[in-house]
Amino acid sequence: MTWFGVIRTATGGMLRHKVQAVVLGMVLLTSTASATLGLALLAAGDTPFTRAFAAQHGADVTITVNAARASSAELAATRALGGVTAASGPFSEATVQVQLTGQPFGQRVLAGRSSPGGPVDDLVLNAGHWPNGPGQIVLNGRPGAGPGNGARLGSVLTVGGVPRTPPLEVVGFANSITGTADGWVTPGEITTLRAAGAPASEQMLYSFARAGSYAQVRADVAEVSRALPAGAVAGAGSWLAAESEASGNGAIMEPFVVAFALIGLVMAVLIVGNVVSGAVIAGYRRIGVLKSIGLTPAQVVAAYLSRVGWPAAAGCLAGAVAGNLLAIPVLRQSAGAYGVGSQQVPWWASVAAPAGMLTLTLLAALGPALRAGRLSAVQAIAAGRAPRTGRGYAARLRLPRPAGLGLAAPFARPARAMVTLAAVAFGSCAVIFAFGLHSSLSRAAASDSLSATVPVQIQQSGPGGGPGQAPTAAQDAAVTAALRAQPGALHYVTVYSGGVKVPGITQDVLAQAFAGDASWTGYGIVSGRWYGAPGEVDVNTAFLNASGLAVGDTVTVNTRTAQVTVRIAGEVFQPSSEPQLYGSTQTLPGVARGKNLDHYDVGLRPGTSAAAYIQAVNSALGTRSPWGATTPDISNFYSIATGLVGLLALMVAVAAGLGVLNTVLMTTRDRVHDLGIFKALGMRPGQMLTMVACWVAGPAVVAAAVAAPAAAALNTATVHAMAGTAHTGVPASFTQVFGPARLALLSLAALVIAVAGAFPPASWAARARPAAALRAE
Amino acid sequence: MRHQSVPGAPSDVIWLDGVTKAYQAGGPPALADVSMNVAAGEVVAVMGPSGSGKSTLLNLIAGLDRPTAGTVTVAGRRIDTLGEAALARFRARHVGIIFQFFNLLDDLTVEDNVLLPAQLAGASRRQAGARARELLERMGIEQHRDEYPARLSGGQRQRVAIARALVNSPELLLADEPTGALDTATVQEIGRLLRELNAAGQTLVLVTHDPALAQRYAARTVRIVDGRMALAGAGVPA
Ligand SMILES: Nc1ncnc2c1ncn2[C@@H]1O[C@H](COP(=O)(O)OP(=O)(O)OP(=O)(O)O)[C@@H](O)[C@H]1O
Ligand SMILES: [Mg+2]
Repeated sequence: MTWFGVIRTATGGMLRHKVQAVVLGMVLLTSTASATLGLALLAAGDTPFTRAFAAQHGADVTITVNAARASSAELAATRALGGVTAASGPFSEATVQVQLTGQPFGQRVLAGRSSPGGPVDDLVLNAGHWPNGPGQIVLNGRPGAGPGNGARLGSVLTVGGVPRTPPLEVVGFANSITGTADGWVTPGEITTLRAAGAPASEQMLYSFARAGSYAQVRADVAEVSRALPAGAVAGAGSWLAAESEASGNGAIMEPFVVAFALIGLVMAVLIVGNVVSGAVIAGYRRIGVLKSIGLTPAQVVAAYLSRVGWPAAAGCLAGAVAGNLLAIPVLRQSAGAYGVGSQQVPWWASVAAPAGMLTLTLLAALGPALRAGRLSAVQAIAAGRAPRTGRGYAARLRLPRPAGLGLAAPFARPARAMVTLAAVAFGSCAVIFAFGLHSSLSRAAASDSLSATVPVQIQQSGPGGGPGQAPTAAQDAAVTAALRAQPGALHYVTVYSGGVKVPGITQDVLAQAFAGDASWTGYGIVSGRWYGAPGEVDVNTAFLNASGLAVGDTVTVNTRTAQVTVRIAGEVFQPSSEPQLYGSTQTLPGVARGKNLDHYDVGLRPGTSAAAYIQAVNSALGTRSPWGATTPDISNFYSIATGLVGLLALMVAVAAGLGVLNTVLMTTRDRVHDLGIFKALGMRPGQMLTMVACWVAGPAVVAAAVAAPAAAALNTATVHAMAGTAHTGVPASFTQVFGPARLALLSLAALVIAVAGAFPPASWAARARPAAALRAE
Repeated sequence: MRHQSVPGAPSDVIWLDGVTKAYQAGGPPALADVSMNVAAGEVVAVMGPSGSGKSTLLNLIAGLDRPTAGTVTVAGRRIDTLGEAALARFRARHVGIIFQFFNLLDDLTVEDNVLLPAQLAGASRRQAGARARELLERMGIEQHRDEYPARLSGGQRQRVAIARALVNSPELLLADEPTGALDTATVQEIGRLLRELNAAGQTLVLVTHDPALAQRYAARTVRIVDGRMALAGAGVPA
């Protein structure tokens, strides 16, 4: 017989344990699926951006300089600053209003560059060619992007607000990984595009030695500012903003997917180790017999490894498939927000996850298998016969006999009890964590969309809206009339929205001005408070990150028509890479202009149906109105994330239950003879069920005590990690989701998992005929 | 012999009628059409070659298994129709069982082993404690009360098993080769113990390979060959 033939014969009996094979397969399916998904998200999250950033020498910092205040020599000197590792520029720059075939194409930042290459921000030309004369432009992005049908090669753009509205033909498309400009023309062209009276500005693109955080980027900007004459630096942009825009929502899910993947991984290792060491212990006699008939140690090891190998391989493969299926909605989510990402699980993730899990499994199995291999035949047979003496704990427990016996059982097999404990702890931790994360995400969703406090919004929807066609004052008045006429509204507030400029932030800051009390709109407060007195504003985290300001600071806001100095009263939860600012119309008069009228927030009286109210308002407004009532939309990120959390938690819980089932099954098999004795002495099926359930009850209670605080801590850490990825702060209420009563109730998950896992083998033991059990040796 | 037993007499502790047991449906029965009865206070030895069905018979009487056909009446109740829970209750109250390999629970002390059937039947530790101590004393092993069975000799272990079988004062004591794993001197000891018990009125069914043991202690011997009753001979009265 061949080497492998021997093993096949030797494993014949061992593979009879189908339940263990199923348990093993299921546990590995779960952990491989979450590992695959985790790897896919890691890949989709940062890697394409990181790779593109490195390949294109992305600009850590883009600085806009007032050309009148700094000479070319002064600018050139900044290349030699200590922190600067590379620089491009200066390139002259202009901010222009662009039209495409008569339709507004938006405000664009154009830079004059003679070539796409350079030591920093090495542009990638996607289509066409670089401008080689006047009247030509290369746009940042891909053909078809932008308002309307977008611009294509050959489209002609016109620039407004300048004499002769010079036409620019689109001759190419290029990509700047850090978005240093929206379009590029020849250097000489810029002056003809600059609006009369606008100051001449230039951009410098830098790489720095240290630019990993917002604080480091601000320090870098400060270094350049100090080197130039006062007032020369007009604005600065950071690669971090580009990164957070690029990494999208998939990356935000990464922390919890990784958390679940790690839980699954640890559980898989535990359960696999337990299955194999259980098989070795149960098979001591068998090992002795196999060896006495001539199996070599290596063959014994191979026999035990192959026992786990097949079900494990099947589980890992199924897990890779499941992970790919799970990844579809998640990656689609992330790709939506994101031009760089791919929508598929990279092939290496589909290979690495199952291969890694399988390797880990075999490593976990190797220890006990080697132990079996090293055991001498005589030792093995003796070990199989040796009676196991426990301690007399049962006698001291003043509990009904079967319960006492069951609770004392873990002391006889402490290692196995620890595995039960760990499996239940991880499983219930995953369940409690999932409930917590669900609550946290719901609060974030409600706070992000204001859906709980502002169930109805009046937005521009119908004809009369559209670009360039603002609703008329009469149409606006019709809205307020309709809102006043309808019963059910508790409050409403008119919201104006427009771009403002804040020193230190290159991008436009989106300002929202509320005409009246808006404290009821329920923005989540990360720190500070909602604005009160005129001259106070709230801002989102992106604003603080970009400006380096903190709550309590004052800042000058340029609303284009006026300069106002405001004090930052609080930081609100509005996750976005766009800096945002909120204040009253008194504080921000420049924003509160008719053309900026954006929407109306409506809060309803308790008991009022939002759907009925929306219908009533819409019929009052009529179909001709540009305004329509609707519910605020909740980003489907939250529903996808919540669904994914639920699914992952369910998988982990099932795996934990299977782990418990496995240990209880092994224990009942080991103790089948004792169980027969109990029955012969008159133990009833109900009593036996109680006893076997009590085997796991003790570990389950300990597991619950460990899992509950661990899950709460894990939830807080995960929410903060997600918020960190999204570059937003979070209100404390998002993580305070576990009241003592709720946590106690959720801890029951441990008992449910343990009892559900123990029940099948327990009822098998309870049903078994005593005569048959006594014969089993 | 104390009195002549009549089939189905109300004083009978055991009454089997046409009992058949087949482990595989359609296969050859391990026990075929066996009828017998045992009166209260009797000692009956069951003898026969290996594999003839002795243990099967004992298991059916103990309610550890159910017959394929026939009726089993023990201590005044039909047990072949009882469910698992009722059978367990029956075993706890009415029968004590002694095995060849003792079947003590290794992770319980001697005293806990003896107490267990009483507690399973619903007695408290305190109630059962006095009875357990009395039995351990009677078996001469009270000094080993707090030890684990693994530390005891074979004879001592079997005494523990007997004490455990008696803790609920069962009407019937069943012993399946109780001396099969013991040396000659110990066999004598255990034999004497069993006789003392019978002298005090304990009904006893004893499966044994040892003709001397059967002859010396049993009033009656039942022979089984290939699952059938061969011959019921009167033993030598003790
Ligand atoms: N649980 C069982 N399943 C299948 N067959 C069984 C079972 N128990 C006993 N048998 C078979 O029934 C027959 C009678 O067995 P039993 O154990 O009653 O014999 P025995 O007279 O007690 O033998 P020994 O003197 O060797 O103990 C044997 O052929 C045995 O193989
Ligand atoms: Mg037998």
